[in-house]
Amino acid sequence: MKYLLAIGLAACVTEVGTPADNTPHDEWDDKLAGRVLDYNAALRVAALRLTGELPTLVEMSAVATAADPKSAYETQVHAYLASPKFARQMFRFWQDTLKMGDDPSLDSAPAFAAEVTVLNRPFTDLFTATSGTCPTYDIASGTFTPADCANGVPATAGLLTHPGMNKQFFSNFGFRRVRWTQETFACTAFPAEIATVAKDVGGATPYTGMFPFESIAGAATGGRVDFRDTSAVICANCHSNINHIAPLFAHFDATGAYQANIVVPTPLANNPVAVMTDYLPAGEGLAWRFGTPVTDMASLGHAMAADPAIAECVIARVWNWGLGKSDIIDGGNRVPAATIQAQVDAFTRGGGKLKDAIFNIFTSDDFVRF
Amino acid sequence: MTRRVFLFAMLAACTATSIDDSSYSDDYFRTNPWPELDRIEREGPPRFTSRVHSCSKVRYQTLGNMLASRGVNLAATDPLSAGAIYKASAAALAGPNYLQRVRENVEPGLATESKLFDIFVQAAPELIANMPNRAECQKNGVGAKLFDAANKCQLDGISCLIGVPATQTHVDLCNQTIARADDVEHGKQLAVAVLAAAANTCE
Repeated sequence: MKYLLAIGLAACVTEVGTPADNTPHDEWDDKLAGRVLDYNAALRVAALRLTGELPTLVEMSAVATAADPKSAYETQVHAYLASPKFARQMFRFWQDTLKMGDDPSLDSAPAFAAEVTVLNRPFTDLFTATSGTCPTYDIASGTFTPADCANGVPATAGLLTHPGMNKQFFSNFGFRRVRWTQETFACTAFPAEIATVAKDVGGATPYTGMFPFESIAGAATGGRVDFRDTSAVICANCHSNINHIAPLFAHFDATGAYQANIVVPTPLANNPVAVMTDYLPAGEGLAWRFGTPVTDMASLGHAMAADPAIAECVIARVWNWGLGKSDIIDGGNRVPAATIQAQVDAFTRGGGKLKDAIFNIFTSDDFVRF
Repeated sequence: MTRRVFLFAMLAACTATSIDDSSYSDDYFRTNPWPELDRIEREGPPRFTSRVHSCSKVRYQTLGNMLASRGVNLAATDPLSAGAIYKASAAALAGPNYLQRVRENVEPGLATESKLFDIFVQAAPELIANMPNRAECQKNGVGAKLFDAANKCQLDGISCLIGVPATQTHVDLCNQTIARADDVEHGKQLAVAVLAAAANTCE
């Protein structure tokens, strides 16, 4: 009881005080207001992030002695973004974001994401690109060599069908791939959706998912794992979303190769292969979110590309990277929507081009104040 | 049941579709809330912390680039050389392990910072000798030296070492470190290591 009260109070208390609430400012607002412009310090951080190196003496001098340090700083950020070293940094950024690297079969995923970023292509290509999703990247020369993935998928859908990703996150039921997709690109762990009205399903706590409780499989529908179980926790709170996505990832085997049939194992005795009725009752369709049905990986990619939460997430990730935060999920470094609203709006208006967004973030008022 | 509805109403009121809100519901379900409350009290709420630079550890690959660009030979094989220590210390420096699906840890830790200081101490002689020859530390073809002929610390040299324009305070502290050492050479090495460590304890 105390635990849940603390949850509720903390969630409420920490959000009170935003300007939109018209509440009086507090000590934290004073601290924010007390920051001062420091383009020299900003240049150091920008150089470390965008080139992976300290600024040179000439670069430092150009900003430190400029009559208009803001303009000089922005000129230098442009130069960093145009540098071959930026490609290297993007490759590293995406290795870390995707948790994939240090093996050629894995590195082509961050290479693809880095290529999309460096070329300023729409970020949504990460879910919707139909070719060229397995490029190689040569750190020494800073060049990308385009290549298609060769894992037999009927249709490529960006990183969602990437063989390295499906190999790296292979698991029972394909659930680890779903979790990776959710946490990497939606920036929240499961449960992905929470209804405004809870439903009593006979457990110690109510069911809070958006889908009907009966929309996922369980013992009552012949499923071999009871995802409707309520005896300990409400499994369906997470699995209502997970089970509507996972079958799409269940066609990739342990090597990441696509197979016509579901091939992922289950954690049951002798690890039998999963079947569709383990996930969903007969007749229930797949969905990215409640009310957003999908039929295949391509439609999943397009549904994700159209979800505003995905755009918010990548901006939050780049924001945290720029300001030296640890991971938004693993490190719990949340980014309130108000903090990055201007960047998200510009990103969305500009066609989802991440390189442009990086410039906006690295020249934002918060970035250049210390 | 009333309690459940009340608690759920509280949660629902504070959870929506935005990044900050929805992550609250998840984080608080999965973690003990008291350390989180303590963290918010100590560091500030997300609306504050999200808008200020963090004190993050320098990333492993970036450290290597930084050392190399200032004249440290990362291919050195002497086990006590800065390059060899760096190469052998990916784990101690909290580098990533992608094959195990582990991201780089950018939170500074005592062991990590200690290893970083070890590297800077061992790197100091190379930095002093080689930095002026690096293009990154030259202006109009003239290399920035860390020390002049009288073993006094130099502004431009320190600037190139730490990555921001140095101040007279940096120079004074550098000279004090030399003056307090048993001999000048060790004092210079210690001064360089201290300046580098101070600049890079937080990126």
